[in-house]
Amino acid sequence: MLDFFNSILKTVSLSHLNILLVLGLALFGGTIGGRLFQKLKIPQVVGYIIIGIIIGQSGLQLVPQEIASKFEPFNYFALGLISFMIGGELKLSTLKKYGRQFLYILFFEALGAFFLVGLFVFIVMFLILQNIILALGLALLLGSISAATAPASTTDVLWEYKTRGPLTSTVFGIVALDDILALLLFAVCSSVSTIFLGKQGGNILGELLNLLYEVGAAVLVGAGSGFLLARLLRAFHDEEKTLTFSIGAILLVLGLSVALNLDMLLSSMIMGVLITNLAPIRSKELFSLLGRIATPIYVLFFVLVGTSLNIIGIDLMLGVLASVYLIGRTAGKIFGARLGGALSKAVPAVRKYLPLCLFSQAGVAIGLAIFAQQKFPGEIGNAIVIVITATTFIVQLIGPSFVRYAVTKAGEVGLNITEDDLIKTIKTQEVLAKKTPLIPENTKLKKVLSIFSRHDYLYYPVVDKKKCMLGVISINSIKETFSHQELSDFLLAHDIMETPVTTCAPDTPLAQVDEMLKHYHLDYIPVVKPDKRVAGIIERRGIQRFIATKLLDMEKKTKALG
Amino acid sequence: MDFRSMITEQRICLLKEKKKKPVLLKLIDCAVKQGAVREQDAGALTERIFHREKLMSTGIGIGIAIPHVRFAGVKNPLIIVGIQPEGIADYMSIDDRPVQVVVMILMAQNQHREYIALLSNVVAFLKSDAVKQKLIKTETAAAAYKLITGKSKSAAGRPAKDTRYA
Repeated sequence: MLDFFNSILKTVSLSHLNILLVLGLALFGGTIGGRLFQKLKIPQVVGYIIIGIIIGQSGLQLVPQEIASKFEPFNYFALGLISFMIGGELKLSTLKKYGRQFLYILFFEALGAFFLVGLFVFIVMFLILQNIILALGLALLLGSISAATAPASTTDVLWEYKTRGPLTSTVFGIVALDDILALLLFAVCSSVSTIFLGKQGGNILGELLNLLYEVGAAVLVGAGSGFLLARLLRAFHDEEKTLTFSIGAILLVLGLSVALNLDMLLSSMIMGVLITNLAPIRSKELFSLLGRIATPIYVLFFVLVGTSLNIIGIDLMLGVLASVYLIGRTAGKIFGARLGGALSKAVPAVRKYLPLCLFSQAGVAIGLAIFAQQKFPGEIGNAIVIVITATTFIVQLIGPSFVRYAVTKAGEVGLNITEDDLIKTIKTQEVLAKKTPLIPENTKLKKVLSIFSRHDYLYYPVVDKKKCMLGVISINSIKETFSHQELSDFLLAHDIMETPVTTCAPDTPLAQVDEMLKHYHLDYIPVVKPDKRVAGIIERRGIQRFIATKLLDMEKKTKALG
Repeated sequence: MDFRSMITEQRICLLKEKKKKPVLLKLIDCAVKQGAVREQDAGALTERIFHREKLMSTGIGIGIAIPHVRFAGVKNPLIIVGIQPEGIADYMSIDDRPVQVVVMILMAQNQHREYIALLSNVVAFLKSDAVKQKLIKTETAAAAYKLITGKSKSAAGRPAKDTRYA
């Protein structure tokens, strides 16, 4: 027996988690973290990342490196899904409306960051190292990496707060495209650096051709698969197949891009763009389906991002470098976006608040840093990786909150809402027909008829002297009496009222009331206060009318934003 | 729906009581004995009947009263007929005339449509003065039964169960 326990104890290891434990911990802890931060009015994505940091390399180190690396394909998938959904936001009408604005802002915010980071890093490094070549190399590489903005954590905030409007559209456009610009800058700068840092293989033309292939072929793959998926979507209409086909398509495109060494995020994004424009109605359904399953994937992804952020090993010099990078990047993005906004005559909300939405950096920046490390092993490479990781650590924690602040100030929160979302935010009280006439139980039938003729409700509560609910009179219940005119003198409301199948309280969430209506196939539900007095009657058509009005309101507000 | 198919001899009471309250109690008692509701529900049923009377008297004039309720405890719809030739003076009919024929209708809560139809049916039957006059002159329940239904006796003396509601 003792042997048995001993052997069990030998095989049990909690200090190093297995892959399922990591998954469980990430999803469970991440969700709790997200909720906590949501309570503090900080976007949930920060909570996911912090949980990751706590269990990851900079924290408790519960996730061993070999397990973290096993998640790489999953991370690709999550990023691919996010890119696909960002592509889905880029409708032709949006591109037409904001296209000029996108290009100006994109160009200036990316180059702004590049130049300021480059300049600051060069000056500071030159002063510290007294080595112009080293300083220039670092400046070019860090500058080009700084152009990238993380689409994932930025758009996650937009989705969480259901934003809609010019600022939202511009953010989607910018984050979708500025990674390409960052790749381009990096390709040029790393080649230049290679040349004067004295490494072999510095061939700008070759690098550029390579980039052209990476981007061009990715666009082709994305467009081709988008075209095919749009055709499939038209052929299959049930939700399961739609979802399965689409996830399959995303995986295929990602896998193909990895195999062909293409920019996989670009290809899945292009696929999203094609779907949303070729099959607008079907794709709306598809993106809402994906949105529903995306949450656990996002949570896991961002927790994993947190676990991989390593800021151990940062020293004073790297600390200074990271600060300089951060200041240069932030300033560059702010000035660049402002300049681009002004030149393209963007609406004031975009000019004022877009700069605050561009702070996040993540996957692409870290990817480029690792690439730089491989290309320039040793001091420069390590410095770049640590600086990018450390600054990612910081901007990932503050970036989402700035995005939230910006979209809130721009008045775009809560405008991108569907009927289902809307119904969840409404309380039953709000929809209650104001002043539904109450019918006392001793009201004669003739009087009841005249009440029906004077109001346009279909259901009326019958009450006792204390206004407590006794029953309901509907058109149906009085209809029965029409063929029995001889009864009209002595029938009372009490005699013809019906007992409602169920009732609800004024604070019952409207979504639940709607569920009840559907579940019991009802047209109305009386609302009864805790003291049994009638608050009113919720009619199914009343809910529909209320929601339609609200949606129209939002449509108007969105249009008013520009 | 014809209320006559729901009548049995046992459901006809020749009343000695001359006041509204004892009359209604007597009819309720009869209904309970006929199995309209469980005994423990009798109190609640009584309360409902009197509550309805408080809202407005069910004396509909020309010597007729139709106390009626829909009551959750009612298993099968039931009609009890009470006859008081001398009249119940304190019934407070809408025409202030004493009530001579009382037809109590008990229905289940959800039988809205049948309820209205049955009420109408009873009123139509009793609105004929000739029928009412004959009815108050009957001296036995059997005679009243024959007058209402046109049959001499309910089958084998058992209460004629209305199979439609069984």
